[in-house]
Amino acid sequence: MSEAFISIDDVYKRFSPRLSMADRIVSKLGARVETRPVRAVDGVTLNVERGQTLGLVGESGCGKSTLGRMIAGIIEPTSGSVRIDGKPVMEGGRKADTRIQTIFQDPFASLDPRMRIGDIIAEGPFAHRLVDKSGERSYVAGYLERAGLDPSFADRFPHQFSGGQRQRIAIARALAMQPDVLVCDEPVASLDVSIQAQIVNLFLKLRREMSITLIFISHDLSVVRHVSDHVAIMYLGRIVESGPTETIYTDPRHPYTKGLLESVPKLLVEDDALVHFKPIMGEIPSPLAPPAGCHFNPRCPIAIDLCRSEDPALRPLGPGHCAACHLAQ
Amino acid sequence: MTALTMPEGEAPILEVKDLATHFFTRAGVVKAVDGVSFSLNRGEIIGLVGESGSGKTVTGFSLIGLVDPPGRIVGGSVKLEGQELVGLDDAGLRKVRGARIAMVFQDPMMTLNPVLTIGQQMHLALAAHERVSKGAARVRSAEALTRVGIPDAASRLDAYPHQFSGGMRQRVAIAIALLHGTRVIIADEPTTALDVSIQAQILSEMRELAREMGTALVWISHDLSTVSTLASRILVMYAGRIVEEGPTAQVLRAPRHPYTAGLLRSLPAMAEPGTDLAQIPGTTPSLLNLPEGCPFRPRCERASELCAKNPPMTRAGERGYRCHHALEEAVSA
Ligand SMILES: Nc1ncnc2c1ncn2[C@@H]1O[C@H](COP(=O)(O)OP(=O)(O)OP(=O)(O)O)[C@@H](O)[C@H]1O
Ligand SMILES: Nc1ncnc2c1ncn2[C@@H]1O[C@H](COP(=O)(O)OP(=O)(O)OP(=O)(O)O)[C@@H](O)[C@H]1O
Ligand code: SF4
Ligand code: SF4
Ligand SMILES: [Mg+2]
Ligand SMILES: [Mg+2]
Repeated sequence: MSEAFISIDDVYKRFSPRLSMADRIVSKLGARVETRPVRAVDGVTLNVERGQTLGLVGESGCGKSTLGRMIAGIIEPTSGSVRIDGKPVMEGGRKADTRIQTIFQDPFASLDPRMRIGDIIAEGPFAHRLVDKSGERSYVAGYLERAGLDPSFADRFPHQFSGGQRQRIAIARALAMQPDVLVCDEPVASLDVSIQAQIVNLFLKLRREMSITLIFISHDLSVVRHVSDHVAIMYLGRIVESGPTETIYTDPRHPYTKGLLESVPKLLVEDDALVHFKPIMGEIPSPLAPPAGCHFNPRCPIAIDLCRSEDPALRPLGPGHCAACHLAQ
Repeated sequence: MTALTMPEGEAPILEVKDLATHFFTRAGVVKAVDGVSFSLNRGEIIGLVGESGSGKTVTGFSLIGLVDPPGRIVGGSVKLEGQELVGLDDAGLRKVRGARIAMVFQDPMMTLNPVLTIGQQMHLALAAHERVSKGAARVRSAEALTRVGIPDAASRLDAYPHQFSGGMRQRVAIAIALLHGTRVIIADEPTTALDVSIQAQILSEMRELAREMGTALVWISHDLSTVSTLASRILVMYAGRIVEEGPTAQVLRAPRHPYTAGLLRSLPAMAEPGTDLAQIPGTTPSLLNLPEGCPFRPRCERASELCAKNPPMTRAGERGYRCHHALEEAVSA
């Protein structure tokens, strides 16, 4: 069997707490200082086909950004490998490939306030010889237009733009590197609803017009449903369910996925629509000490004894659909 | 739905009329709140929605008399159980605030003091308005914490805020707001920073509270879906004004104001997956030196010359909208 375009193979990421000198001394003296590592990503295996959009969802701290950054080659897995087109994304602790670009949540922080938009966009492509000085202006103009911006914006500075416009600029900058893979970490989370729609449409357009593979990280389940071909649900560092988008949303099999979908407030337009939330009980346990067995077992309404001792493996349940639950079928 | 909580003829618990709060900045006057009116009944939950910068938070602060310079309430009236709050001096406001009306913020640490235990802060909050022994304070604090879904509350009174998760901290902030049998709580995006599973827990607890204790809530949010699951009435705010109001389900089913309609259409839930979302062109206006006329005009597809004049609030039954060319009333099925 040939390898998938993006192949994530049993990837782990642990963060050891960086102890200050004072912490180290008091911990030697017997005080309780946290020394356990955070198990941010805890054994993820996942494939993405070329040109597809994978939505990565889950609640805060479940490891979405960490996984995204490993896919983008920004940080190195503690163990396991990420390969794109058969090649590892990192080699010798460095990002091996420029064909992966990242877009972050905060369009304010990600643009250098002292640089003109044109220079911000041209900097990377110029350094990687995708364009030379003479072609720079029209190159920049092309990508600004692709991101739905006026080419004349090239001469302005970031502070002159709204949040939505800055996010478009960040997208134009990423696209100008001619990436095969774009990792987007909460790209619309900080934007107003009416502006969110503009950026979501831009992603839809990119998907249609370019053969780009997107990793779309978000905690917003309705946005993810809208843009993704496939969805993977994460909980405490693990993928608990993944599959084609419509399958996940209409036929979820993992108790966590079901609870999560139940928890999302739906737009109700019926008079007297009495809503019966069935919230997931309890809180997300600490990633320092995830529960033994299935990580979801303390909150799971149908847990059995086996769940407290055995990790459930991701099992196939249908075409492209798998869930990690002893009882899912 | 409202009939359940509002016996015929009962006076509203909170009545806001033509409230206006402006900021007098060096660059000019920011009319953050510019003629807001609404009323709230006992046990009622009203949703105040609008995009960033539309004036929701400033409205909330104005209701509890917490507007700092260069901001000032420049007009209007806020009546809590018949008592006028606008113009009340600091001492008068302090008596009301925290006891009969309280605000809960997106960041619970706006309310919580990191160096005091939960029990200590709740005792202080109680002591601000009544004489209460330490023992009695603990009992009442534990009750309040239990009401907002904190398990094993008595034993958590000695914990510090940082020992709680974000969701638990928000519950503590709500419990403090409830301590005195508060009549009205202004909740400013209290679940926005929380995870959906925690948000769902808190939303269902808030509904219970309103029903059981008769606490009335102004629920501020930019999320129409959240408000639709919670509020019986909705106020849509744009550029410092309420541009549409009415029973939540009716407004969401058949909006009369083009802005409300645009917002609804732009939601992914309203479109087939993978198809383009409807967009509202342009961006939200700056409230600095806002020109005359309907503030939505530059983005509105229905705008005409008439819209150069500011539209007044038109009322029809329980509905209200500020628009010269309102969308058709839906033909009821
Ligand atoms: N550099 C780091 N050092 C230590 N711990 C980290 C680091 N980065 C992430 N973590 C921890 O790893 C876990 C996963 O974090 P991550 O940011 O990947 O979550 P996330 O799913 O993106 O959450 P959010 O929705 O809040 O963005 C968290 O517990 C986080 O505190
Ligand atoms: N101290 C201040 N000085 C000047 N202008 C202010 C001040 N505080 C608020 N404003 C302005 O008042 C307007 C309304 O702000 P407000 O915080 O009420 O908006 P909001 O609807 O709560 O937005 P968000 O959804 O972002 O919280 C904004 O245009 C804001 O810039
Ligand atoms: S494995 Fe057990 S605890 Fe985990 S989700 Fe399935 S039933 Fe629940
Ligand atoms: S008054 Fe005119 S510009 Fe304003 S919303 Fe109505 S139609 Fe549009
Ligand atoms: Mg993240
Ligand atoms: Mg606000």
